[in-house]
Amino acid sequence: MGLAVPVPADSEPTKARRSTPPAGGPRLSKLMELSATSGLERAIGTNVATFAGDFEELVRLYRPKVFRFALASLRDLDAAESVTQDCFLRAYQASGSFRQDCSLQTWLMQIAVNLIRDQIRSRRFQFWRRARLTAKPVDAAGHALADGACSPEDQALLNERVAAIWEAAGQLPERQRTVFLLRFVEDMDLLEIACATGMKEGTVKTHLFRALRAVRERLGGTA
Amino acid sequence: MHLSSEQMSECILGPAGSDAARHLAECPACRAEFATLREAIGEFRGAVRYWSEREAQSVLVVPARTEETRSWIAAHQLAFALALATIFLLASILVPWYQHHQSAAANDAALLNQVDAQVSRTAPSSLEPLMKLVVERQQ
Repeated sequence: MGLAVPVPADSEPTKARRSTPPAGGPRLSKLMELSATSGLERAIGTNVATFAGDFEELVRLYRPKVFRFALASLRDLDAAESVTQDCFLRAYQASGSFRQDCSLQTWLMQIAVNLIRDQIRSRRFQFWRRARLTAKPVDAAGHALADGACSPEDQALLNERVAAIWEAAGQLPERQRTVFLLRFVEDMDLLEIACATGMKEGTVKTHLFRALRAVRERLGGTA
Repeated sequence: MHLSSEQMSECILGPAGSDAARHLAECPACRAEFATLREAIGEFRGAVRYWSEREAQSVLVVPARTEETRSWIAAHQLAFALALATIFLLASILVPWYQHHQSAAANDAALLNQVDAQVSRTAPSSLEPLMKLVVERQQ
Protein backbone atom coordinates (compact mmCIF):
# COMPACT_ATOMS: atom_id res chain seq x y z
CA MET A 1 0.00 0.00 0.00
CA GLY A 2 1.16 3.51 -0.59
CA LEU A 3 1.29 6.23 -3.13
CA ALA A 4 4.46 4.91 -4.68
CA VAL A 5 6.34 8.03 -3.77
CA PRO A 6 9.56 7.12 -2.01
CA VAL A 7 10.83 9.03 0.96
CA PRO A 8 13.24 11.85 0.01
CA ALA A 9 15.62 11.10 -2.67
CA ASP A 10 17.41 13.52 -4.89
CA SER A 11 14.96 12.81 -7.62
CA GLU A 12 14.23 16.34 -8.73
CA PRO A 13 16.09 17.43 -11.82
CA THR A 14 16.68 20.81 -10.25
CA LYS A 15 19.96 20.51 -8.45
CA ALA A 16 22.61 23.07 -9.17
CA ARG A 17 24.48 22.34 -12.33
CA ARG A 18 27.36 24.30 -13.78
CA SER A 19 27.78 24.82 -17.46
CA THR A 20 29.62 27.12 -19.81
CA PRO A 21 28.21 30.65 -19.61
CA PRO A 22 26.34 31.46 -22.81
CA ALA A 23 26.26 34.66 -24.71
CA GLY A 24 23.18 36.72 -23.97
CA GLY A 25 23.85 38.83 -20.91
CA PRO A 26 24.45 38.11 -17.24
CA ARG A 27 20.85 37.21 -16.50
CA LEU A 28 20.76 34.57 -19.16
CA SER A 29 24.14 33.14 -18.29
CA LYS A 30 23.21 32.90 -14.63
CA LEU A 31 19.94 31.25 -15.42
CA MET A 32 21.62 28.84 -17.75
CA GLU A 33 24.33 27.96 -15.31
CA LEU A 34 22.10 27.51 -12.37
CA SER A 35 18.86 26.28 -13.74
CA ALA A 36 19.00 22.62 -13.17
CA THR A 37 16.34 21.74 -15.65
CA SER A 38 17.36 20.72 -19.07
CA GLY A 39 14.04 22.05 -20.38
CA LEU A 40 14.86 25.53 -19.23
CA GLU A 41 18.34 25.33 -20.66
CA ARG A 42 16.92 24.24 -23.97
CA ALA A 43 14.40 27.06 -23.89
CA ILE A 44 17.02 29.65 -23.07
CA GLY A 45 19.32 28.49 -25.83
CA THR A 46 22.60 30.23 -26.38
CA ASN A 47 21.91 33.58 -27.91
CA VAL A 48 18.48 33.78 -29.43
CA ALA A 49 15.91 33.90 -26.70
CA THR A 50 14.95 37.00 -24.83
CA PHE A 51 14.77 37.00 -21.08
CA ALA A 52 11.03 37.60 -21.11
CA GLY A 53 10.45 34.53 -23.21
CA ASP A 54 12.74 32.42 -21.05
CA PHE A 55 11.06 33.63 -17.96
CA GLU A 56 7.79 32.23 -19.22
CA GLU A 57 9.50 28.87 -19.46
CA LEU A 58 10.85 29.26 -15.96
CA VAL A 59 7.37 30.05 -14.67
CA ARG A 60 5.95 27.06 -16.49
CA LEU A 61 8.52 24.76 -14.94
CA TYR A 62 8.55 25.99 -11.36
CA ARG A 63 5.09 27.41 -10.88
CA PRO A 64 3.56 24.09 -9.76
CA LYS A 65 6.25 23.62 -7.12
CA VAL A 66 5.95 27.11 -5.71
CA PHE A 67 2.17 26.95 -5.75
CA ARG A 68 2.18 23.54 -4.05
CA PHE A 69 4.51 24.71 -1.32
CA ALA A 70 2.49 27.90 -0.78
CA LEU A 71 -0.79 26.01 -0.73
CA ALA A 72 0.46 23.40 1.73
CA SER A 73 1.95 26.11 3.93
CA LEU A 74 -0.94 28.59 3.89
CA ARG A 75 -3.86 26.22 3.24
CA ASP A 76 -5.61 29.03 1.43
CA LEU A 77 -6.15 28.92 -2.30
CA ASP A 78 -6.24 32.67 -2.90
CA ALA A 79 -3.25 33.35 -0.68
CA ALA A 80 -1.27 30.57 -2.33
CA GLU A 81 -2.05 31.93 -5.77
CA SER A 82 -1.12 35.43 -4.68
CA VAL A 83 2.18 34.25 -3.16
CA THR A 84 3.00 32.30 -6.30
CA GLN A 85 2.46 35.32 -8.53
CA ASP A 86 4.42 37.59 -6.20
CA CYS A 87 7.21 35.06 -6.09
CA PHE A 88 7.73 35.09 -9.83
CA LEU A 89 7.30 38.84 -10.02
CA ARG A 90 10.04 39.31 -7.44
CA ALA A 91 12.19 36.72 -9.12
CA TYR A 92 11.86 38.60 -12.38
CA GLN A 93 12.68 41.91 -10.74
CA ALA A 94 15.61 40.45 -8.80
CA SER A 95 16.97 38.19 -11.50
CA GLY A 96 19.90 40.53 -11.95
CA SER A 97 20.96 40.01 -8.36
CA PHE A 98 20.61 36.24 -8.46
CA ARG A 99 23.73 34.77 -6.86
CA GLN A 100 25.15 31.49 -7.97
CA ASP A 101 25.30 29.90 -4.56
CA CYS A 102 22.15 27.85 -4.93
CA SER A 103 19.96 26.31 -7.60
CA LEU A 104 17.18 28.20 -9.33
CA GLN A 105 14.59 26.15 -7.50
CA THR A 106 16.17 26.91 -4.14
CA TRP A 107 16.31 30.59 -5.00
CA LEU A 108 12.61 30.61 -5.92
CA MET A 109 11.77 28.71 -2.77
CA GLN A 110 13.74 31.25 -0.76
CA ILE A 111 11.54 34.01 -2.18
CA ALA A 112 8.43 31.92 -1.54
CA VAL A 113 9.44 31.19 2.06
CA ASN A 114 9.81 34.92 2.74
CA LEU A 115 6.50 35.75 1.08
CA ILE A 116 4.72 33.02 3.02
CA ARG A 117 6.22 34.28 6.25
CA ASP A 118 4.96 37.78 5.45
CA GLN A 119 1.57 36.39 4.55
CA ILE A 120 1.31 34.50 7.84
CA ARG A 121 2.31 37.59 9.80
CA SER A 122 -0.21 39.80 8.03
CA ARG A 123 -2.89 37.19 8.58
CA ARG A 124 -2.57 37.50 12.32
CA PHE A 125 -4.19 40.91 11.97
CA GLN A 126 -6.86 39.64 9.61
CA PHE A 127 -8.85 37.48 11.97
CA TRP A 128 -12.04 38.16 10.02
CA ARG A 129 -10.55 36.73 6.86
CA ARG A 130 -11.74 33.30 5.80
CA ALA A 131 -9.46 31.05 3.84
CA ARG A 132 -10.80 29.77 0.53
CA LEU A 133 -9.95 26.13 0.58
CA THR A 134 -12.12 23.79 -1.36
CA ALA A 135 -10.56 20.51 -0.30
CA LYS A 136 -7.72 18.98 1.67
CA PRO A 137 -5.08 16.45 0.75
CA VAL A 138 -7.08 13.96 2.74
CA ASP A 139 -9.85 14.21 0.16
CA ALA A 140 -7.30 13.81 -2.61
CA ALA A 141 -5.56 10.84 -1.05
CA GLY A 142 -8.16 8.40 -2.26
CA HIS A 143 -8.18 9.83 -5.77
CA ALA A 144 -4.41 9.63 -5.94
CA LEU A 145 -4.77 5.90 -5.55
CA ALA A 146 -7.83 5.58 -7.73
CA ASP A 147 -6.06 3.61 -10.39
CA GLY A 148 -4.48 1.17 -7.96
CA ALA A 149 -6.12 -1.83 -6.43
CA CYS A 150 -6.91 -0.70 -2.92
CA SER A 151 -9.36 -2.27 -0.54
CA PRO A 152 -11.75 -0.07 1.43
CA GLU A 153 -9.79 -0.88 4.59
CA ASP A 154 -6.54 0.21 3.01
CA GLN A 155 -8.27 3.30 1.68
CA ALA A 156 -9.52 4.20 5.15
CA LEU A 157 -6.09 3.62 6.65
CA LEU A 158 -4.51 5.78 3.96
CA ASN A 159 -6.96 8.62 4.57
CA GLU A 160 -6.39 8.33 8.28
CA ARG A 161 -2.63 8.56 7.93
CA VAL A 162 -2.73 11.48 5.51
CA ALA A 163 -5.21 13.28 7.76
CA ALA A 164 -3.00 12.67 10.78
CA ILE A 165 0.09 14.10 9.10
CA TRP A 166 -1.92 17.00 7.66
CA GLU A 167 -3.20 17.89 11.13
CA ALA A 168 0.19 17.41 12.72
CA ALA A 169 1.80 19.64 10.10
CA GLY A 170 -0.89 22.25 10.63
CA GLN A 171 -0.11 22.44 14.31
CA LEU A 172 3.63 22.71 13.85
CA PRO A 173 5.31 26.06 14.43
CA GLU A 174 5.88 27.96 11.20
CA ARG A 175 9.56 27.10 10.78
CA GLN A 176 9.09 23.43 11.55
CA ARG A 177 6.22 23.23 9.08
CA THR A 178 8.28 24.99 6.43
CA VAL A 179 11.25 22.63 6.72
CA PHE A 180 8.96 19.62 6.97
CA LEU A 181 7.17 20.54 3.73
CA LEU A 182 10.37 21.45 1.91
CA ARG A 183 11.92 18.15 2.90
CA PHE A 184 9.08 15.70 2.59
CA VAL A 185 6.88 17.26 -0.08
CA GLU A 186 9.40 19.17 -2.18
CA ASP A 187 12.22 16.64 -1.75
CA MET A 188 14.82 19.26 -0.97
CA ASP A 189 17.94 18.21 0.90
CA LEU A 190 19.13 19.81 4.11
CA LEU A 191 21.56 22.18 2.43
CA GLU A 192 18.94 23.43 0.01
CA ILE A 193 16.47 23.92 2.84
CA ALA A 194 19.11 25.80 4.81
CA CYS A 195 19.71 28.04 1.80
CA ALA A 196 16.00 28.59 1.17
CA THR A 197 15.14 29.36 4.79
CA GLY A 198 18.29 31.17 5.81
CA MET A 199 18.86 28.73 8.68
CA LYS A 200 21.96 26.74 9.47
CA GLU A 201 21.95 23.11 8.45
CA GLY A 202 21.98 22.01 12.08
CA THR A 203 18.96 24.19 12.83
CA VAL A 204 17.12 22.71 9.88
CA LYS A 205 17.87 19.24 11.20
CA THR A 206 16.64 20.14 14.66
CA HIS A 207 13.40 21.51 13.24
CA LEU A 208 12.97 18.37 11.17
CA PHE A 209 13.53 16.13 14.19
CA ARG A 210 10.88 18.02 16.13
CA ALA A 211 8.47 17.96 13.24
CA LEU A 212 8.98 14.24 12.76
CA ARG A 213 8.46 13.60 16.43
CA ALA A 214 5.14 15.46 16.29
CA VAL A 215 4.13 13.49 13.21
CA ARG A 216 5.13 10.20 14.85
CA GLU A 217 3.15 11.03 17.94
CA ARG A 218 0.12 11.83 15.81
CA LEU A 219 0.52 8.69 13.76
CA GLY A 220 0.98 6.64 16.89
CA GLY A 221 -2.68 7.12 17.64
CA THR A 222 -3.83 6.15 14.20
CA ALA A 223 -1.38 3.79 12.62
CA MET B 1 16.13 -0.96 23.99
CA HIS B 2 14.41 0.59 20.91
CA LEU B 3 15.52 3.39 18.65
CA SER B 4 15.17 6.86 20.12
CA SER B 5 13.12 9.54 18.43
CA GLU B 6 16.29 11.18 17.09
CA GLN B 7 17.62 7.88 15.73
CA MET B 8 14.32 7.16 14.04
CA SER B 9 14.33 10.65 12.50
CA GLU B 10 17.92 10.12 11.34
CA CYS B 11 16.82 6.94 9.64
CA ILE B 12 13.95 8.76 7.90
CA LEU B 13 16.09 11.69 6.84
CA GLY B 14 18.90 9.72 5.31
CA PRO B 15 20.80 6.50 5.37
CA ALA B 16 20.64 5.00 8.84
CA GLY B 17 23.83 4.84 10.86
CA SER B 18 25.42 1.44 11.35
CA ASP B 19 24.03 0.99 14.88
CA ALA B 20 20.55 2.11 13.89
CA ALA B 21 20.65 -0.07 10.76
CA ARG B 22 21.69 -3.09 12.80
CA HIS B 23 18.94 -2.43 15.31
CA LEU B 24 16.35 -2.04 12.56
CA ALA B 25 17.43 -5.38 11.14
CA GLU B 26 17.06 -7.07 14.50
CA CYS B 27 14.04 -5.35 16.03
CA PRO B 28 10.67 -6.04 14.34
CA ALA B 29 8.88 -3.34 16.37
CA CYS B 30 11.27 -0.57 15.34
CA ARG B 31 11.33 -1.88 11.78
CA ALA B 32 7.53 -1.80 11.64
CA GLU B 33 7.38 1.70 13.08
CA PHE B 34 10.03 2.91 10.65
CA ALA B 35 8.19 1.35 7.72
CA THR B 36 4.89 2.85 8.83
CA LEU B 37 6.34 6.31 9.23
CA ARG B 38 8.16 6.19 5.90
CA GLU B 39 5.09 4.89 4.12
CA ALA B 40 2.81 7.46 5.73
CA ILE B 41 5.09 10.32 4.74
CA GLY B 42 5.20 8.98 1.19
CA GLU B 43 1.40 8.82 1.12
CA PHE B 44 1.21 12.34 2.49
CA ARG B 45 3.53 13.61 -0.23
CA GLY B 46 1.52 11.89 -2.93
CA ALA B 47 -1.74 13.26 -1.57
CA VAL B 48 -0.43 16.81 -1.27
CA ARG B 49 0.95 16.73 -4.80
CA TYR B 50 -2.26 15.36 -6.26
CA TRP B 51 -4.32 17.85 -4.28
CA SER B 52 -2.12 20.75 -5.32
CA GLU B 53 -2.37 19.84 -9.00
CA ARG B 54 -6.13 19.63 -8.74
CA GLU B 55 -6.40 22.98 -6.94
CA ALA B 56 -4.01 24.59 -9.42
CA GLN B 57 -6.28 23.57 -12.27
CA SER B 58 -9.25 25.19 -10.58
CA VAL B 59 -7.25 28.37 -9.97
CA LEU B 60 -5.89 28.55 -13.48
CA VAL B 61 -9.31 28.38 -15.10
CA VAL B 62 -10.83 31.36 -13.28
CA PRO B 63 -8.01 33.91 -13.35
CA ALA B 64 -7.46 33.43 -17.05
CA ARG B 65 -10.61 35.39 -17.73
CA THR B 66 -9.86 37.91 -14.98
CA GLU B 67 -6.40 38.57 -16.35
CA GLU B 68 -7.85 38.97 -19.80
CA THR B 69 -10.36 41.50 -18.50
CA ARG B 70 -7.69 43.32 -16.55
CA SER B 71 -5.36 43.50 -19.50
CA TRP B 72 -8.17 44.73 -21.75
CA ILE B 73 -9.03 47.45 -19.25
CA ALA B 74 -5.38 48.35 -18.86
CA ALA B 75 -4.94 48.59 -22.60
CA HIS B 76 -7.95 50.89 -22.92
CA GLN B 77 -7.28 53.05 -19.88
CA LEU B 78 -6.43 56.10 -21.98
CA ALA B 79 -9.52 55.64 -24.12
CA PHE B 80 -11.67 55.38 -20.99
CA ALA B 81 -10.12 58.52 -19.55
CA LEU B 82 -10.65 60.45 -22.78
CA ALA B 83 -14.24 59.29 -23.08
CA LEU B 84 -14.97 60.33 -19.50
CA ALA B 85 -13.35 63.73 -20.03
CA THR B 86 -15.40 64.27 -23.19
CA ILE B 87 -18.62 63.38 -21.37
CA PHE B 88 -17.82 65.80 -18.56
CA LEU B 89 -16.93 68.56 -21.02
CA LEU B 90 -20.11 68.10 -23.04
CA ALA B 91 -22.18 67.97 -19.89
CA SER B 92 -20.62 71.17 -18.57
CA ILE B 93 -21.52 72.95 -21.83
CA LEU B 94 -24.90 71.40 -22.61
CA VAL B 95 -26.52 71.53 -19.19
CA PRO B 96 -26.24 75.36 -18.71
CA TRP B 97 -27.21 75.91 -22.35
CA TYR B 98 -30.29 73.72 -21.95
CA GLN B 99 -31.28 75.46 -18.72
CA HIS B 100 -30.90 78.88 -20.38
CA HIS B 101 -32.90 77.72 -23.36
CA GLN B 102 -35.69 76.44 -21.14
CA SER B 103 -35.99 79.71 -19.19
CA ALA B 104 -36.01 81.78 -22.43
CA ALA B 105 -38.83 79.64 -23.81
CA ALA B 106 -40.80 80.10 -20.61
CA ASN B 107 -40.36 83.90 -20.81
CA ASP B 108 -41.46 83.91 -24.43
CA ALA B 109 -44.56 81.93 -23.59
CA ALA B 110 -45.49 84.31 -20.77
CA LEU B 111 -45.03 87.33 -23.05
CA LEU B 112 -47.16 85.76 -25.77
CA ASN B 113 -49.92 85.04 -23.27
CA GLN B 114 -49.81 88.65 -22.16
CA VAL B 115 -49.98 89.93 -25.75
CA ASP B 116 -52.87 87.58 -26.47
CA ALA B 117 -54.73 88.92 -23.52
CA GLN B 118 -54.14 92.48 -24.62
CA VAL B 119 -55.08 91.85 -28.23
CA SER B 120 -58.25 89.95 -27.37
CA ARG B 121 -59.67 93.04 -25.62
CA THR B 122 -62.04 95.19 -27.78
CA ALA B 123 -61.67 98.30 -25.59
CA PRO B 124 -59.17 99.57 -23.04
CA SER B 125 -59.69 98.29 -19.56
CA SER B 126 -60.79 101.75 -18.27
CA LEU B 127 -63.76 101.76 -20.75
CA GLU B 128 -64.89 98.22 -20.04
CA PRO B 129 -67.81 99.28 -17.72
CA LEU B 130 -69.13 101.65 -20.42
CA MET B 131 -68.83 98.90 -22.99
CA LYS B 132 -70.90 96.62 -20.80
CA LEU B 133 -73.70 99.24 -20.59
CA VAL B 134 -73.70 99.68 -24.38
CA VAL B 135 -73.95 95.96 -24.89
CA GLU B 136 -76.83 95.67 -22.41
CA ARG B 137 -78.82 98.50 -24.16
CA GLN B 138 -78.34 96.92 -27.57
CA GLN B 139 -79.77 93.70 -26.25
